[in-house]
Amino acid sequence: MRLTFALLVARLAGWASHSLLGKSGETISGRVLLILCPNAISKLAAGRKVILVSATNGKTSTTRALAGFMATAGSVTTSKSGSNLPRGVASALMTKSDYAVLEVDELHLPAVAKATKPQAILLLNLTRDQLHRMHEVKRVADRWKEMAESSNATFIADIDDPFVNYVISSAKKSVRVSFGGAAGRHPDGAVCPSCGEYLDWQGGLFKCGCGLNNHYSDKQFEADSAALRNEVLANVTAERFGVPWHEVDVASLERKVFKKFINADCSIRLTKNPASWREALAGVSGEKVILILNAREVDGIDTSWLWDVDFSSLRGKHVVVTGERGIDLAYRLHCEGVVAELVADFDAAAAKFAGPVEVLAAYTAFFELVG
Amino acid sequence: MSIRIIRIHNELLGTYGDRGNADVLAFRAGLAGVKAHIVDVSYRDVLPDDGDIYLLGGAEDAAQVLSCEALRGFDFSARVVLAVCAGFQILGNSYYAGGMKQTGLGIIDMDTVPGASRFVGDIKIHSELLNVELTGFENHGGETNLNNGITPLGRVITGSGNGARGVDGAIVGNVFGTYLHGPVLARNPEFADLLLERATGRALSRVNDPLADQYAAWRRAVIK
Repeated sequence: MRLTFALLVARLAGWASHSLLGKSGETISGRVLLILCPNAISKLAAGRKVILVSATNGKTSTTRALAGFMATAGSVTTSKSGSNLPRGVASALMTKSDYAVLEVDELHLPAVAKATKPQAILLLNLTRDQLHRMHEVKRVADRWKEMAESSNATFIADIDDPFVNYVISSAKKSVRVSFGGAAGRHPDGAVCPSCGEYLDWQGGLFKCGCGLNNHYSDKQFEADSAALRNEVLANVTAERFGVPWHEVDVASLERKVFKKFINADCSIRLTKNPASWREALAGVSGEKVILILNAREVDGIDTSWLWDVDFSSLRGKHVVVTGERGIDLAYRLHCEGVVAELVADFDAAAAKFAGPVEVLAAYTAFFELVG
Repeated sequence: MSIRIIRIHNELLGTYGDRGNADVLAFRAGLAGVKAHIVDVSYRDVLPDDGDIYLLGGAEDAAQVLSCEALRGFDFSARVVLAVCAGFQILGNSYYAGGMKQTGLGIIDMDTVPGASRFVGDIKIHSELLNVELTGFENHGGETNLNNGITPLGRVITGSGNGARGVDGAIVGNVFGTYLHGPVLARNPEFADLLLERATGRALSRVNDPLADQYAAWRRAVIK
């Protein structure tokens, strides 16, 4: 009874926000729902098959791909792009369906897993991100591990990431997926998350004295980019539900948007932490580049990680930097011998170019540009 | 004239971009006409004793303990050292990691205990030695108590620093400790030049780098 009433009010709030204020209305309805009925998530999740997806990077695009795969098996509700906090989960669950494929923020995953009792949890990777909020990678991994020990879900996991590997090491049911260490040495993986000893790496392979390793897996694949690895992991997850293997356009797994600004034909890519910057920089093929750095809450308010990214591949290119913290990046590039011009805003940056330009944009800048 | 900058255990002591301190030192040395080589020393390597500046950075708990144990026995006290966050803590008599009290390297007479809460945010201090404000970002759970006679790096204007007595860091001879990361030398060129002067043993020709000055001035202005 309480849920029915809460749903009614939440839908009304969503409708009002959408029609009267011109907003999407999804977040507000989830928010209202959870205020009126705090256990709405567990009530709405009951009776359907739930799959959760979490990671530092790639959770939005992988969730979208997986939701697409699952649609061949039944009706699917899924998170609105990037809406991965409990209110986003709640609003996604307001639609009835056979399956719910939900993206979940790293710190909220244990609580959402407890409430939704998922059939499967897909874990892609854990690296440094928003340390002002996460504090330490190991801290997030420890919370996940506690969840994995008590959950009845099947964990599908990329075990080449030592943190993810550690998380599922004592899960009741798991599918350990490896890409033979193709991702290389984990940038934050010098210490074994399980025992605290120094982890010796051979390329992307590791084997600790305590037993943690990625030499032995349940399934092994070849993939040379994060996007391809995520495609495979989504397929392995869908297979658990009898869904046949899907090939997807890898570009759709990279969060890239094409848009024209003045004379600049921009391909805009989301970047938010050292791992995603490295991936994005490796994908820069042209000579014209705009970099945008902000440091709002979701971007991470501490910009010190800039010094852990190798920007030397930009040397000799025409580089323009902007954003609220553009100067942090400009000085970083300056010390690395990358000549870059610092300008006041994106319009001024776009005005410098004609034709194709690659734009690497911080989280908040990305959403402002692509709307 | 050339100097060797020793970046110690960056794979362990590299949580908050502190590797950049070596890059900034080498860059500014170059502008001052001093050749600089960065030597990366990993956990399995022997720490060379012919370095001119030794750099220690921030770390998570397990990495901090590994690094500290590997450095035990090396005498930092007669060298030019910049130690940030976890790297600063291990130079004391004791510190906490993994909820347990650990024995430090005893280079600075100080002890670190768990603070009441974690200190996360922008920090600004006033350095008497340089007579400038230094800015950075801090993210740590330790409260560091300097024992009698130990000089702090600066007085805290904004933020927490050592979390005790309104000061940040410590100075013992040419050993400098601080909770400012960011990395600290990128945001505070005067501090970088001080370390270069201590390493070369002479006054540097004035470094002209307007972007560095603009960056430092802006951080000092926006952190109230």
